[in-house]
Amino acid sequence: MVGDVDAGKSTILGRLLVDLGLVTPARLEELETSSSKRGVPIEYSFLLDAFQLERDQAITLDLTRIWVRTPDAEFVFVDAPGHRELIRNLLSGASEVDAAVMVVAADEGITLQTRRQALFLRWFGFANVLVAINKLDLADDPHAAYDTRAAEVTAFLDQLGMHPRAIVPVAARSGDGIVKPGPLTAWWKGPTLVEALGTLERAQTREDGPLRFVVQDVYRRDGKRLIAGRIESGTLERGEYLTFWPLQTGARVVAIHDWPDEIGSAATGASIAVELDARVFVDRGAVGSRAIDAPELGHAAQTTVVWLGVNPVRAGEPLRMRLGTREITVTLQKIEETIDPDTLEPRESEDLRSGDVGVISLVSRELIAADTNVSESSIGRFVLLRDGTIVAGGRIDAVVGHSRGEGATNVVAMTSSVERLERTVRNGHAGGVFWLTGLPSSGKSTVAMAVQRMLFERGRQVYVLDGDTLRTSLNVDLGFSDEDRSENVRRTAAVAGVFADAGFIVICALISPFSADRELARSAYPNGFHEIYVACDLQTAEKRDVKGHYGRARRGELTHFTGVSSPYEIPANPELVVDTATHRIDESAAQLLEYVEGHLVK
Amino acid sequence: MSSLDYLDELEARTIFILREAFSCVSPLAMLWSIGKDSTALLWMVRKAFLGEVPFPVVLLDTGMEFDEVYAFRDRLVADWSLPVANEPCPPESSVDQTLPPAARHAARKTAGLRALIGREGYRGIILGIRRDEQAIRAKERIFSPRNADGSWDPRSQPPELWDYYAYDVPDGAHVRIHPLLHWTELDIWRYTLREQIPYVPLYLAKDGKRYRSLGESNITFPITSSADTLEKIIAELEVTRDPERAGRAMDNESEDAFERLRTTGYM
Repeated sequence: MVGDVDAGKSTILGRLLVDLGLVTPARLEELETSSSKRGVPIEYSFLLDAFQLERDQAITLDLTRIWVRTPDAEFVFVDAPGHRELIRNLLSGASEVDAAVMVVAADEGITLQTRRQALFLRWFGFANVLVAINKLDLADDPHAAYDTRAAEVTAFLDQLGMHPRAIVPVAARSGDGIVKPGPLTAWWKGPTLVEALGTLERAQTREDGPLRFVVQDVYRRDGKRLIAGRIESGTLERGEYLTFWPLQTGARVVAIHDWPDEIGSAATGASIAVELDARVFVDRGAVGSRAIDAPELGHAAQTTVVWLGVNPVRAGEPLRMRLGTREITVTLQKIEETIDPDTLEPRESEDLRSGDVGVISLVSRELIAADTNVSESSIGRFVLLRDGTIVAGGRIDAVVGHSRGEGATNVVAMTSSVERLERTVRNGHAGGVFWLTGLPSSGKSTVAMAVQRMLFERGRQVYVLDGDTLRTSLNVDLGFSDEDRSENVRRTAAVAGVFADAGFIVICALISPFSADRELARSAYPNGFHEIYVACDLQTAEKRDVKGHYGRARRGELTHFTGVSSPYEIPANPELVVDTATHRIDESAAQLLEYVEGHLVK
Repeated sequence: MSSLDYLDELEARTIFILREAFSCVSPLAMLWSIGKDSTALLWMVRKAFLGEVPFPVVLLDTGMEFDEVYAFRDRLVADWSLPVANEPCPPESSVDQTLPPAARHAARKTAGLRALIGREGYRGIILGIRRDEQAIRAKERIFSPRNADGSWDPRSQPPELWDYYAYDVPDGAHVRIHPLLHWTELDIWRYTLREQIPYVPLYLAKDGKRYRSLGESNITFPITSSADTLEKIIAELEVTRDPERAGRAMDNESEDAFERLRTTGYM
């Protein structure tokens, strides 16, 4: 229910409930008594104000939502005292809301509030809009007042590309035109409000949409892999070939389980479990479709969002995105446009604040598989999270080829012709970066080499990037100042990320003494980066002094030496700690081997 | 191929929610009150997980349920091989004595639930509450985070946009999952009839009375009815205007008692 707060939305709703006989006689009597006690006519909107309402089979009340069941249909009325509440309520109740009833008062006409809300509805993709011209009791000539306002509304909505299903005259105070006609609407040949509501179709015709089988989980039963999920749109037949995105793995459906039955085809909305004829890599987050009407793929997306977070967000910030059942890390690349919710004017903005509607571009290292039509697809609308809390809701307007980093905005990198997961399948393991950090002579390189050998002998694709070795080639121009150490880490991490992308297990052995640098290293391959702290106390390390550096550092021949003249920041939350002071090399290597195998080999 | 009818849609949505809970929240447990709602939910759990119940089914036992309820429980546990965990609730003397008498029973269950969560560390608890049961339940979310002490503030809840739920729970806290929120009392009975789900015989009328809702035997009172089959119960509900929980002493004792119960962690 949208419209200016004074247009009478609540009164219409209250009157609707009473005239449909959905409010108990006792409650109505209470209302009549309290109204007459105060010498005012019955204010039906009071029915909606109560935080507690007695339960009734046909009505359920939330603060601003009312579920109503008539014998013919079920309605949910979403009322909103203001624009921001409208946004929140529309977004949270969106799977239940199919139409908007726009209330315009005959005396006030279209106000700024009406404009704001209509614009938002248009952005939201509402096709079904019904208009109620209210307060005809205040007009000298109800028919003429209706004609004027109806023309205004039609013109206004037309400008927005919206076309109302009906424009109905009502007078909520007396109930004329809501459930039954009355003297004020005697001249009206069209439907009452309730009749008009009854003609609305569900906006979401997902049956006609492209097949989208969103995977929630994989269950194992009697040695079979059963892929559980929901048909969000379209239909699925047994025997069809399904392609799963974004991995582009595919197989034929040999059985569709609707426990305890097995069915030949699944309709839109069905929650099922599917058996395939081949062992392909499919997991939660994948979307199955036919090849011909597959979702769009890319590493970046142009989106329209409503920011709900308490704290603002700016470009460059990493966020989590949930699209369907998939969750990936994205970066807010750029805020293209912000629409202020109070003025509805576009404004230049460095950030998005609570309530703002923004057009933003998001990029990800992972492939985004999405549809670009919000009302038809559950992979067309997403949420963004920060620290596990939903901070925005949005829809995908376009999916574009990948672009990363500030310097690369005009550079559109190629999408690889070979996907990472194909390499995983071929190698029998995923790629990953294992970053060994620790004091000089703590045993990083030794352990790295030992584990590399063990992994190699198991048939894994593995390589060691050793800090000192790289300082003779890639990083030959770098010294040991803080800045140079950071750059050393950055370059090594970038190379490691590339190797990992290529399917390799990369073991990096660098002192990397600063946590900030190690965090930066992590961002080169965020979804498969493991910080391994090779722990060894300074005394033990110094006693070993494998390269003789500690001695030289103590004598002042080496400056900026970690442990002696340069600090080492112990990792606060490493994925693994390998203690080389109290364990032999082979023990430490075995520990690391087990860790690597456990994380990359399925 | 036929499209889903209304009950199919409700069922499919509940199965979706159950699968989301299982995939994203761990460890998980489900409360089974042995009433018609949570039994229908248990039925859907078996559908969702292809015949299995992959998490414990917890019974918060005050020792004061009707005999028929206990008998029904035992039968179903055997027939469905349910992985039950019986959790005896603390005695009445240990709960808030300022609450009205019937509400004290509910408080026992709250205390039992809190002890269970504290001991087992459950991050998610599945419950079969519905929005249409009680005013304050109408404000619930499908995934509803609870603070470490089990309390809930209906005014500051996370938004639930489309089918995206709040899975992330800070340590020590838990999330309540309500897969039946969108079902009504009538829906549950229609579904029970359609699927032939077993139910406690007390729901059917005997000697002109039946129980519309089942709480402990000393705080639940029958209503006048001659509906002795499910079809008749459904027909009766289609015309009735009285709230379902009217026979439950605790809800009527004091309006804000129920609100107080909920905000301190009652179901």
